[in-house]
Amino acid sequence: MMTQKEPASLAAGTMTAAHPAAQARVSPQVGGVFDRREQPLHDFALQAAAVAAACYEIAVRFHEGGKLVVFGTGGPSADAQHVAVEFVHPVIVGKRALPAISLTSDIATVTGIAARNGMAAIFSHQLRYLATSADIALGIDTDGNSSSVLSGLLTARELGMLTIALVGGDGGAIAACPAVGHLLITRSADPRIVRELQVTAYHMLWELVHVFLEQPGALEPEADA
Amino acid sequence: MTPPPRSIESLYPFLYQGTTAVPGLLDQVRQSTITKTADILSLRRAVRDAMADQLLACAREMARRFAADGRLLAFGNGGSATDAQQLATLFLYPGGASRPLPALSLASDAAVLTALSNDIGVDVVFARQVAAFGSKSDIAVGLSTSGNSENLLRALDEASRRGMLTVGFAGYAGGKMAELDSIDYLFVAPSTSVHRIQEVQTTMCNILWELCQDALSSSAAPARATPKEQAHVPRHSR
Repeated sequence: MMTQKEPASLAAGTMTAAHPAAQARVSPQVGGVFDRREQPLHDFALQAAAVAAACYEIAVRFHEGGKLVVFGTGGPSADAQHVAVEFVHPVIVGKRALPAISLTSDIATVTGIAARNGMAAIFSHQLRYLATSADIALGIDTDGNSSSVLSGLLTARELGMLTIALVGGDGGAIAACPAVGHLLITRSADPRIVRELQVTAYHMLWELVHVFLEQPGALEPEADA
Repeated sequence: MTPPPRSIESLYPFLYQGTTAVPGLLDQVRQSTITKTADILSLRRAVRDAMADQLLACAREMARRFAADGRLLAFGNGGSATDAQQLATLFLYPGGASRPLPALSLASDAAVLTALSNDIGVDVVFARQVAAFGSKSDIAVGLSTSGNSENLLRALDEASRRGMLTVGFAGYAGGKMAELDSIDYLFVAPSTSVHRIQEVQTTMCNILWELCQDALSSSAAPARATPKEQAHVPRHSR
């Protein structure tokens, strides 16, 4: 049995001692904008166990033939496409291509559903026709209150998919939703900082899913488990 | 205050019911998450210390272009294509009290991209659009991790020929973008990880946007009237 010890902050880990912008003779205007980004990153590191658990379950789903389905509105709609290309066409030579799609690229379907059935239905409709119970749903949202992303996660859970939410702010309605299997909150009141952390978070999901996939023995269920 | 973290086993007991290899891997991945977070923190600090003045100067020049009715054209390949979309939407629809500014992503229109790729080649997909849309008060932003994408180099050359402000983002040591005379501001994320490079580029883009908003609100440049504001102007006074 391993011992669990989470760091109180990154300073306890591999990082060198903090040196604020003032010490580096950086203009206070620009230095302040950079320094504001540090605490949210420390807070994110405290969720390392949740990142690991999500990666493991994603790897199990891929191993069993599932695909990743990613969605978000506004800025996160581009992040959804970014995640999909990350998995389908890995930047690191030798890594397996894995099946992933975004629900934000087919603008004909998205605007068609939005016009006829409302924004809340844009992802849930696509999930019903494009996803199966073996798949993984990843919903990305800046403040956790997008009705489209929430509704997508609820539908995904109904379908039996693994559900993962990557949300910012205080997590909003999505963080409180019992349909979410794995929750990663990038806490900041600034939506730009939320997004930066979310890019880091989904890059890590991609990088670390491969740690489990490269140990396929770990992904087989044990007969007597 | 953030609550004290709990162990993986107490949070996810089901993970411990499988093979004996899983707990060790989970711990390895958890440690790796922390290490990668520390990496991005140090990389941001390195960029802050090396490029703060350049970011501020670039943002002020961008503000001057916007004040002169310029537009921002953003482009990149793969993940950087989505980062270009993000940059465009950040300027165009920032939300809150921030000022919306004209910005286009040149990586979003599948009809244009596939037409140019099929008929001529992928090397011209951005340069042709810059030639079609760009004018001298505009801003071109090319996002790359390697700094070597031929279609970005060509688009930045085309933008420079047209008198546009040219901004490049690269990683590693800047690649071919570092050798290009046509780039006014080049921001290099000094890392060999494509992921960490993209993350710190996202931060630099957001900071450029914030400093540009600051510069515009502190300058006397008139804001472009929103349709609602225009509607309030009596017809005869237009």
